[in-house]
Amino acid sequence: MTQEQQLKLQAFVDGELPESDAREIAAWTARDREATALLGELRHTRQALKGFEPARLVPESREFYWSKIKREIERSAPAPAPAKVSPFRVLRRILVPIGAVAALAIIGIFTVRQLGSGNVHPVQVNAVLADAGAAYTYRDDAQSMTVVWLSYPAEKKLAQSPSADTLPAK
Amino acid sequence: MRHGLICVCMLFALLSSTGLARAGAGDMNLDAQLIWGTNDTKTDAKLKPADPELVRKLRQSPFKWDHYFEMHREQIPLKLNQEKTVSMSRNCVISVTNLKDQQVQLRLFGKGVLANTVQQALPKGQLLIIGGNAENSTAWFVVLRQVEK
Repeated sequence: MTQEQQLKLQAFVDGELPESDAREIAAWTARDREATALLGELRHTRQALKGFEPARLVPESREFYWSKIKREIERSAPAPAPAKVSPFRVLRRILVPIGAVAALAIIGIFTVRQLGSGNVHPVQVNAVLADAGAAYTYRDDAQSMTVVWLSYPAEKKLAQSPSADTLPAK
Repeated sequence: MRHGLICVCMLFALLSSTGLARAGAGDMNLDAQLIWGTNDTKTDAKLKPADPELVRKLRQSPFKWDHYFEMHREQIPLKLNQEKTVSMSRNCVISVTNLKDQQVQLRLFGKGVLANTVQQALPKGQLLIIGGNAENSTAWFVVLRQVEK
């Protein structure tokens, strides 16, 4: 018996043959003892396997069930290798944040210095009166001005022209 | 887009550093004014009204005067640690020194005698004023401020 005959006999047992082939195999097994023996063996094995391999019913349709398997296979497949990155792109990725940080740092220093011109050196008034009069210091932050008021007696002659004296007489 | 932003930042940083270098020179340009304050409405028509911004500040201060006139004005450029003496009127002389870090020393002389010394930081936008009473309930002021070079 050839291997092809054995496979046909197996297909006959599984019910996969067309009707004409099935009749031919049935006639062959009826007259060939070896074929009859193999047929009996295959049917016996099939019967034995049926008892140990219960059928499992799949809730989904066949197409959907296999599409799930396909997706799972594709998901577990290794990812394609990343495209080669050009050196310019790498350099740009490094320089962009460095440049931004440097610019911010310089702006920050500039801002601190600008603000510091008024804050680091707070207005300190040191009014010294040279004679027996009194000096009062008035600081107005809202108007950004400091006034030192000298409380002398009023001058006899007030300047109403640039050539006149505006300071009190001693 | 991102390159443009970086270029703008770099340009700003460059301009800022240039400004720092210029500010670090320590030179100052001071503006000194002698101001007369009065409530008299019948004043000499030839008198020059004081700068409106200065008038606004003085009017918002506790001073009682309504009218302010500019009697004399001087621009005083000063290098670092330089001192200059300027005559504001016949008997009013001021001496200004540019100390470091925008500190100034202002000395006021009346008829050749030192009347007062003030030392303080004078950044741009700040005013340093020395004032006193004058005849008929009026007042005089020496106003010092830093101006653009």
